[in-house]
Amino acid sequence: MDILSHLTPMFFGLIAAGTLVGIIFGAIPGMTATMAVAVCLPLTYALGLESGIALLLGLYVGGISGGMVPAVLLNIPGTPSSITTTFDGYPMAKRGEGERALKVGIVASIFGGLFSAAVLFFFAPVLADFAIKFSYVEKFLIILLALTVIASLCSNMLMGIFSGVLGVWLSLIGTYSITNGGNGEPRLMFDFMEYYLIDGFSLLPVLIGIFGLTTVLLDAEKGFKDETGQGPIKLKGGARFSFGIFKGQQINLVRSSGIGTFVGMLPGVGGSAASVLAYSQEKNFSRDSSQMGKGAPQGIVASESSNNALTGGALVPLLSLGIPGDSTTAILIGAFTLQGIQVGPLFIGNNMDTWYLMIIALVAANFLMFGIMYFAIRYIAKVIEVPKFILYPLIIMMCVVGAYAINYGIMFDVWTLLIFGVFGYVAHKIGLEVVPLIIGFILGNSAEVYFVKSIESYGNLTIFFTKSPIAVLLWALIAVSVAFAIYLRVCNRRQPIVES
Amino acid sequence: MESHWLSLFDVTINFDQSHLFFPRIVTWVLVILLALILLSRYRRVIPALKHTGRVLAGREGEFDHKRFFGTLVLTTGYFYLMSVLSDVFPNTGYSFLIMSVVFILLLSLLYVDHLTRRLFVIILLNALIAPTLAWYVLAQLFRITLP
Repeated sequence: MDILSHLTPMFFGLIAAGTLVGIIFGAIPGMTATMAVAVCLPLTYALGLESGIALLLGLYVGGISGGMVPAVLLNIPGTPSSITTTFDGYPMAKRGEGERALKVGIVASIFGGLFSAAVLFFFAPVLADFAIKFSYVEKFLIILLALTVIASLCSNMLMGIFSGVLGVWLSLIGTYSITNGGNGEPRLMFDFMEYYLIDGFSLLPVLIGIFGLTTVLLDAEKGFKDETGQGPIKLKGGARFSFGIFKGQQINLVRSSGIGTFVGMLPGVGGSAASVLAYSQEKNFSRDSSQMGKGAPQGIVASESSNNALTGGALVPLLSLGIPGDSTTAILIGAFTLQGIQVGPLFIGNNMDTWYLMIIALVAANFLMFGIMYFAIRYIAKVIEVPKFILYPLIIMMCVVGAYAINYGIMFDVWTLLIFGVFGYVAHKIGLEVVPLIIGFILGNSAEVYFVKSIESYGNLTIFFTKSPIAVLLWALIAVSVAFAIYLRVCNRRQPIVES
Repeated sequence: MESHWLSLFDVTINFDQSHLFFPRIVTWVLVILLALILLSRYRRVIPALKHTGRVLAGREGEFDHKRFFGTLVLTTGYFYLMSVLSDVFPNTGYSFLIMSVVFILLLSLLYVDHLTRRLFVIILLNALIAPTLAWYVLAQLFRITLP
């Protein structure tokens, strides 16, 4: 089989390197898996598709997993998805059980990661087979559903919708591409901009700016202060870790991994929602939740298994529908485009070898994450002490490489990075939701093509409601997502999901 | 009767103007949403703008002007000078290398809290080694285009 020729030591070496770098990024507060993927993207330009995927998936899994280190030792979630790890991890670390807490998180993480990889393997091809039958109408409605789900689960629904639509608007800047059936005319810009924006803003400089430079600016504004007011807790002997701690946690593991995978599939919902949901479910359904929030391992199990389960879950809509499940997979879509691969319903069927390699890389990244973190956690924990005055200048430098090299040397892409770095900062300040904005930006062009072609084909707006039973189902799902968001908001007003 | 009712929703797209069809719809949706946001939050907009003004002027809140605006100025200067220098050394990556050394050194000095001789040596070594390593690996080994 051709696939075996790709399984070289280099392939697994790249997964290991990606996982290690991802863990380091995740372990440093303020730096996320998304940033890790964005910053290391230039390295994949020279690698082939398979090697590039190996590196990026390693970064993704490592970045999500590394977030538990500062959550336990500093009480600051390294990534948003490890927010609930702080609830029990930090109290455990304070009583000298830091290493035990981290190892509980590592074991839960590998379970969640492998669970979601299995779901991805079995579910994505089925969904893709189903989606192949979609016409332009259903494809447009899928994008509308994705944006509605993202927006409705934002902290402010109106701002979420506005952000998503703004992302779509930004994506339309440039010419109406002839390859998409357009007339090649420019729009949404002044004449003097045409030289630079004839093809619109490139996706990756936009993403690198928003997830790289914006983070630096937000930290620069605070003056790089230690948010805890105290240093990290050192890993001491304390109570030793044993696998016996997972006795009675099987249901928690499976339920939390299932929640994480499902939330990962919903475009743009984010890891913090998955871990909060899994944590609150464990609190509601476990026989004894009295110690949760005071240093109970079951809280870490719920949080870490759910957030690592996001990885496989978020890849399901990406690989079967071409819709990114979260901000990191949004960057992966850029990496695929760079390699000349278009993700969508045809991806798996047309690229079987790549598909199997992705699954192998995802599973291997989880095992390597486990090996690296379980046996070297004491050394990895020291990463959180690396000063940001060393790290952040290097990150900006790598952002420049990523932006400049994406189109083989266009300086305007570097300026795009700066423009969107500042834009991301302003967006954060005025309460715009970044994830809907990014997903709107990614899907905007496709939405236009599907919408216009639907109308050109049928000539009537009612076709969006009457085309097929699937169209009706999609409208029903859009209505349900909005209704569910309103219901959640009402419930939250009455009783906070997590009282901690 | 039914077909007459459905004809109300008929739409034809003029190919010459087709590039504006979808953007116009999106722009209108955006304007309507913005109006809704402003209407629902108008009481908070003016105080928030005043607060921002006070923070930027340094009269309220904790805002590190030196580091924030320093980052913006250094980054803009880095990009601009890299662009200028790339005309002097086209397609070699030297512009990236030279400007990155200077940028990393200055930005690290801007960010460090209490500069000691030891820290300065670390920052200097970092500024020299990291861009050189990045330039060598990316431009020389991987043949990636650099400014």
